[in-house]
Amino acid sequence: MNTPVPVATSKPWITGAEPPFIRISKVTKRFGDFYAVDDVSLDIYKGELFCLLGGSGCGKSTLLRMLAGFETPTEGRIEIDGQDMAGKAPYERPTNMMFQSYALFPHMTVEKNVAYGLYRDGMKKAEAMEKVAEMLRLVQLTPFASRKPHQLSGGQRQRVALARSLVKRPKLLLLDEPLGALDKKLREETQFELIKIQESLGVTFIVVTHDQEEAMTLASRIGVMNAGQIVQVGEPPEIYEHPNSRFVADFIGSVNMFEGRVTEDEPDYIRLGVADLGGSIYVGHGVSCVLDQQLWYAVRPEKIRISRTRPDKTENVFRAVVDEIAYMGNISIHRLKLPTGRLLSATKANLTRHDDEAITWGDEVWVTWDDTAGAVLTR
Amino acid sequence: MIRSLSLAGLLAAAAALPALAQDKVVHIYNWSDYIAEDTIRKFEAETGIKVVYDVYDSNETLEAKLLAGHSGYDVVVPTSNFLQRQIAAGVYQPLDKSKLPNLENMDPELMKAAAAYDPDNTYGVIYMWGTNGIGYNVAKVAERLGEDAPTDSWSLIFDPKYAEKLADCGITLLDSASEVFPSALTYLGLDPLSKKPEDLEKAAGVIEAIRPYIRYYHSSQYISDLANGEVCVSLGYSGDVFQAAARAEEAGKGVEIAYSVPEEGAQQWFDMMAIPVDAPNPEAALAWINFIMKPEITADITNYVWYANANTASLPLVDPEIRDDPAIFPGPDVLAKLYPAQVYDARTDRLITKLWTRAKTGQ
Amino acid sequence: MSAVIERVAPLRWTAALLAALGLRGRTLVIAVPMLWLLIFFLVPFLVVAKLSVSEPAIAMPPYLPLVERDGARMTISLSFENFGYLFDDPLYIKAYFFSIRLAFFSAVLTLLIGYPIAYYIARSSEARRSVLLMLVILPFWTSFLLRVYAWQGFLRSNGVINNFLLWTGIIDQPLVMLQTNFAVYLGIVYTYLPFMILPLYANLVKLDEALLEASADLGGRPLPTFFHVTLPLSMPGIIAGFMLVFVPAIGEFVIPELLGGPDTLMIGRVLWNEFFSNRDWPTASAVAIAMLIALVIPIMILRTAQQRVEEE
Repeated sequence: MNTPVPVATSKPWITGAEPPFIRISKVTKRFGDFYAVDDVSLDIYKGELFCLLGGSGCGKSTLLRMLAGFETPTEGRIEIDGQDMAGKAPYERPTNMMFQSYALFPHMTVEKNVAYGLYRDGMKKAEAMEKVAEMLRLVQLTPFASRKPHQLSGGQRQRVALARSLVKRPKLLLLDEPLGALDKKLREETQFELIKIQESLGVTFIVVTHDQEEAMTLASRIGVMNAGQIVQVGEPPEIYEHPNSRFVADFIGSVNMFEGRVTEDEPDYIRLGVADLGGSIYVGHGVSCVLDQQLWYAVRPEKIRISRTRPDKTENVFRAVVDEIAYMGNISIHRLKLPTGRLLSATKANLTRHDDEAITWGDEVWVTWDDTAGAVLTR
Repeated sequence: MIRSLSLAGLLAAAAALPALAQDKVVHIYNWSDYIAEDTIRKFEAETGIKVVYDVYDSNETLEAKLLAGHSGYDVVVPTSNFLQRQIAAGVYQPLDKSKLPNLENMDPELMKAAAAYDPDNTYGVIYMWGTNGIGYNVAKVAERLGEDAPTDSWSLIFDPKYAEKLADCGITLLDSASEVFPSALTYLGLDPLSKKPEDLEKAAGVIEAIRPYIRYYHSSQYISDLANGEVCVSLGYSGDVFQAAARAEEAGKGVEIAYSVPEEGAQQWFDMMAIPVDAPNPEAALAWINFIMKPEITADITNYVWYANANTASLPLVDPEIRDDPAIFPGPDVLAKLYPAQVYDARTDRLITKLWTRAKTGQ
Repeated sequence: MSAVIERVAPLRWTAALLAALGLRGRTLVIAVPMLWLLIFFLVPFLVVAKLSVSEPAIAMPPYLPLVERDGARMTISLSFENFGYLFDDPLYIKAYFFSIRLAFFSAVLTLLIGYPIAYYIARSSEARRSVLLMLVILPFWTSFLLRVYAWQGFLRSNGVINNFLLWTGIIDQPLVMLQTNFAVYLGIVYTYLPFMILPLYANLVKLDEALLEASADLGGRPLPTFFHVTLPLSMPGIIAGFMLVFVPAIGEFVIPELLGGPDTLMIGRVLWNEFFSNRDWPTASAVAIAMLIALVIPIMILRTAQQRVEEE
């Protein structure tokens, strides 16, 4: 690894090599007494595919709508490409939006829908049609150019909405639950298509979604929102592996969460006494904490190994009984009951088709995880 | 027409409800503003017969109801010329004169004149009679035409040179071809009863020439409009104009309304009480007619509506102011200039209606 | 519903009786409006149609019977002369065109006034919406006739408007407003405005806000957004409102009679004249039938347009 790491240069949020493209500073949106967005500051860089992730009512859509210009911030400032957006109407902004409902004009053909934005800018018909044709090719809808929206399938409509919002080559594309209305299979296919299109056009995307898998797949970075605030911003692995709070750990993927108290606090490890486990957890790295502080420990199910034989180690080893197994095809989820009565879940890849030795219901097993597999959370 | 639709119609409908409970009910259909305030009450008190009273403002409205049949009315009051045609259509039943002892109060001369439409007075008794003349706002006409305005001539209305000057304060005509055409013919010096198409065309020409200056054609609206100064010259029924004059005086806003019988001649008409052939209660109808012919009742009505009656016995009871007004009870010189209301045959009728519509609309 | 029928004895018996006659709930649901149309539309129409081919006469009723029996002989005489009159005399044709023109422009005016009102109501908050809708419907609680009379009071030479203008000194002679075509337009627009507003409102309130946002987002300023999105999408409401105003306005009688001048040549007045002044019931009926036929064409055009818009 002597060559400079290319990843770093493409990650300006780490290098700080270029100024942020979108600057959201101290933005608050109040509806009456309700804080929909509460003091959010966020920098997003050119070419990013940034996902705002959160449950319903967390303020992610409101934030998106403030970027588009449909809502005005109560406080704070939004800059896009160095320009203050205050007082700018949606039609004056260098952004386009793909609506959750797609908001296709029902009285216009696919072609007219896509051309709408171009015509509003006063583009000549011939030129507009050329761009529309190019866009329809990109989203593979050329044969449907003269159909009306109600004659299309959900996936086709989604692509029309995408084409319509991209045809003007906005500096920033805002996508509100772009895949929300599609079924699972189509959603997966479309995710990759979306990434491909984003990369080929080089447009900055901000995607609002409640689906953490979608966010993981799409995003260059994820901003997790809760109750109007950004809880954590980071690249998908960072969010997944290093959640900064119980909320994030819990929200992204599934997790086994333990509450414990610091019983040993050394520079290179700490130990947590966990009543639920009837023992302690050994954390193989230093944590800034004090003795007897209350902490939480989160460990993902796939990080937990189960075996019939006792693992060859001393730390983080517990006995359990298999309470239930959910077979998911690629993996199986084991629900394990500890002697304390606490339940744990652990996943196991189904590596072979038939496994006569496979662990099954009621088996007594050993449970363990690496001392760096979990995250210590202070809040 | 519309007026009868609204208030009076509602009242009649409301009155009809309790009436169902009573056996003796008489349904009267009369012209609007054409009865004394207490006549109905007196009749009910004397006979115990309940009165359901409804009004119209044109012969046409009345006729449409009668021709449709089952009008439900016991006594109606068509004008003599309409009575004549309706008799031909079989609308009426002969009067049982033995039930009408008060017929002896009637003026034989006038009854004879009415017999021109209704031989032997078989079907009708005169209710009131009057003339069609000019009602005008004295001050406003003088203001526009000077002191020597031709208020006693049809030219006040039919001569465009005067009509034009009066247009802004409002001229109205009756909405009835059979009333306006004879007047226009008289103005032209032609026979008011002429049925010659060329004469009628000429009359239509006169009416059309003044069309731009006519505010509206309506047969009752002008009463209140004259009274409150909304319009200033109306071709109208004598009694209606007197009512307008009385209302104007009551209002006390200094509006003075006068009526004149034009010197060229004017139409004399009789409004006749008659009983439809399908009247539900002809006995009560006869009682009503006989009651009206009582001198004091007829006098009351004349005193209230300012129309002449044909009841000789009532004259001593009529206000001298009315009785001695030559415009209401004309003297022999005026009577000589009056001509009867005309009855047209179907062909002339169609021609007149057509000419009338054209003249009215300018189409 | 059926539970209610079961419980209430008279309903149960009626239902049983109807079932015995082979009539079930569903048939009845269709039968009731059909019967309604039959009794209140078709039968009167046939009566008028019959009248229109009769011959006028001085009689009671004033036309000759169509069917005459003379022992075993039965003669049916149809007279189409009445329809001939309609073409003989340009008056009728003129009246038709005048009526259609007046109704058309009234409907256009009503649309121009009603659209912004409907739009405003549809875009108001829910609480406010019901108040505003109430205000639109409120005039219906007073007799239509009284309201038209009230306009007379406003428009006459010594009416409210003229008195006010004279008092302010803007004019020194009263304006003649009553008995003019202006007054008729005013009366029709005023009377029919709710019939325009309500269907437009029903349409506009359904308009997806996201479509307007999408347009703005794509660079559509408010005005282009209105013309390219709102207006085309409200076409069904516009057509419905237009029909509700245009069609009855053609045959309007009361408003031109009360507010119109002598030259307001509406077909309704011609019909009235024919019926009352001329007591020519057959010709009046012919006018009515011809009016119906003349009306059917614009209605069909509007209906097809509406269907096409709705399909899209």
